Amino acid sequence: MVVELFHSTAALYLLAGLAGLLGIALPKARFGRAVPWLLAAGATLHGIAFARLHTLPNPPQLTDTPSAISLAAWLAVIVSLLLLRSGRLEGLAVLVSPLAFLSVFYESFTLYANAPAVASEAGSWPHLHVILASAGLALLGVAGLAGALFLAEDRALKAKRAPSLRRGLPSLEALDRVNAVTLAAGFPLLSCGVVAGMLWTQAETGHLFVGGAHAVWSVIAWAIYLALVVARFVAGRRGREAAACAAIGFAFLLFVVIGVGAVV
Amino acid sequence: MKILLVGMNHRTAPVEVRERFAVGDPLPWLAKLVDSPEIDEAVLVSTCNRVEVIAAAPNLEAGRHRLRSFFHRELGQAAPLPQHRSESAVLYEHVDGDAVRHLFRVAASIDSLVVGEPQILGQVKQAYRVAAEGGVCGPLLNRLFASAFASAKRVRSETQIASRPVSMARVAVDLARQIFETLEDKHALLVGAGDMIEAALVALRGAGLASVAVANRTPERARELAARFGASAHGLDEVPRLLAASDVVLTSIGVDRPLLDAPLFEEALRARRRRPIFAIDLGVPRNIDPAVNQLDDVYLYDVDDLGGVAEANAEERRRETLRAEAIVQEEVERWGGWLSALQAVPTIRRLRARAESIRQGEVDKIVTKLGLDEAQQRGVEALTRAVVNKLLHAPVSRLREQAEREGGLAYLEAAKVLFALDDSTAPGAEADAVADDTRGDDESSS
Repeated sequence: MVVELFHSTAALYLLAGLAGLLGIALPKARFGRAVPWLLAAGATLHGIAFARLHTLPNPPQLTDTPSAISLAAWLAVIVSLLLLRSGRLEGLAVLVSPLAFLSVFYESFTLYANAPAVASEAGSWPHLHVILASAGLALLGVAGLAGALFLAEDRALKAKRAPSLRRGLPSLEALDRVNAVTLAAGFPLLSCGVVAGMLWTQAETGHLFVGGAHAVWSVIAWAIYLALVVARFVAGRRGREAAACAAIGFAFLLFVVIGVGAVV
Repeated sequence: MKILLVGMNHRTAPVEVRERFAVGDPLPWLAKLVDSPEIDEAVLVSTCNRVEVIAAAPNLEAGRHRLRSFFHRELGQAAPLPQHRSESAVLYEHVDGDAVRHLFRVAASIDSLVVGEPQILGQVKQAYRVAAEGGVCGPLLNRLFASAFASAKRVRSETQIASRPVSMARVAVDLARQIFETLEDKHALLVGAGDMIEAALVALRGAGLASVAVANRTPERARELAARFGASAHGLDEVPRLLAASDVVLTSIGVDRPLLDAPLFEEALRARRRRPIFAIDLGVPRNIDPAVNQLDDVYLYDVDDLGGVAEANAEERRRETLRAEAIVQEEVERWGGWLSALQAVPTIRRLRARAESIRQGEVDKIVTKLGLDEAQQRGVEALTRAVVNKLLHAPVSRLREQAEREGGLAYLEAAKVLFALDDSTAPGAEADAVADDTRGDDESSS
């Protein structure tokens, strides 16, 4: 039942992505209007799937990478839905939907492959770490995707390419605003996630920092985002530079969560 | 009844000819036209690109002659056409299906100078409204114009004929919308005061910009233009200061070398904390150094860039025109079906009247013969009426359906022969006169 719920969620995210693509290619057909509804249906089903999964006897650990990524994807979809309410950002949902689809599909295949959750001496710190870091990842992920889209549109505008296919995409100003909002909300959450992770480590080992690969790369990622926040909100960097930084920062964060997480 | 369309447009008549035939208030002209026995209903469409009369006439030749004379003697006041143009070359004429197709193409903006331009539908609607309110438009043209508007709506919603701007000014506004989320809080700086700047001012004002500043070498001309469009006027020396506050910069001024260069834009960007600038250079020679486009957060388009986008959009519109023509063809056929179905109405009415007359005659006979009381009479009435209705239901429905199709007239003829509708000695034929009397009402309500 839970697997079917995850599969249905994945299908809805995929449909939202396809509807968004069709909405950009054929603006008159108004496929874009279906995007928020499909995303909302997907997010609702995703939430139900989570609730069902974690109320089962012997649920998988929330700290598993697939679970954490799926949680981040869920939160990213919710953030996208909130952003969709404030402007024409269906083009951004086209990028979020496929990633959400892949995350959920990945989780559905690994549901019973990982060891079930066991009581930890660290109490609720592991869960808090995962929830806060996933929320940060979700917001910074949306910032990164908005940045990537900004760079593509900026390049097309500078190169004077025919604008027909860009009509359904968000404006550069809207993407820059998404960058600012998600960075402002995502960085504090990521910071809290890092702190919760350190407290989890302390509860288990007695030390705040033990120097494992995940911990070291996480701190580097946090420092990169700190620099990004300072550049954006203190030095006033915006537009193309901010977009490029957000895209690179998100790629690095993905490397830390998935790449280093998988190795460790 | 024949549908006739006579008129001229940008293809057949130059502006100096069209302007002589253009009318401000078409109603007095239309009233004169429908006062004549040759024309029953008429609508006059007069825009900057066309003057056309669509009319319903009982006789083709008489109607055609009347409309030609209306153009030549009344609208044109019998003055000779300039440049030795013959009337037959300037005026075109369409009848029935061709007239309907022409009107549908005009309303859908396929026949416009700029294909897909949105104004024409409003102009045709206005022309129809004037005629309808003036009482010079009857059931045939009412239906025709309703179909034309429905066809135009379909073309607009099912094709992208109007979604790509093709004028420089509108292309610029379209590009600005890809950079800025909204234009309502944006400020524009226009450098120059010529025709290009004026056209851009109209488009930018229409797009709802918060404010527009016009800077020109001659401040008087800038002031005059600014006053007309609710903008502020400035001299060229103020441009560097204005640049920092401007989101959209549009230039079209005669200069030997670029007026605005990269360092000036870099300084403006710093002052505005890197908020983007959309720069449009319509000047030849160019007014803005092309190197400005290399700067981050500045998007510079010159006249060739905008022309390229406009041409690509025009090509897109031309492709969409093929789809629009197919929709118009469908709608013309639907209209033809409606018109054909109208021909079935007298036959159906006569058939029903004939059947009712026979039924009533038989009921009267049986009531007298059997001496039925009132309740029994009501029962016989209901019974016979139900039998007649049920018997006629299928042939009447088939006649209506077939009349809309090609060859439908054969079914009407067959019905007349089978039910002896043309035989005045057949039982019930006395009801035909009553049926014919109500024919007009029936047609208008169909």
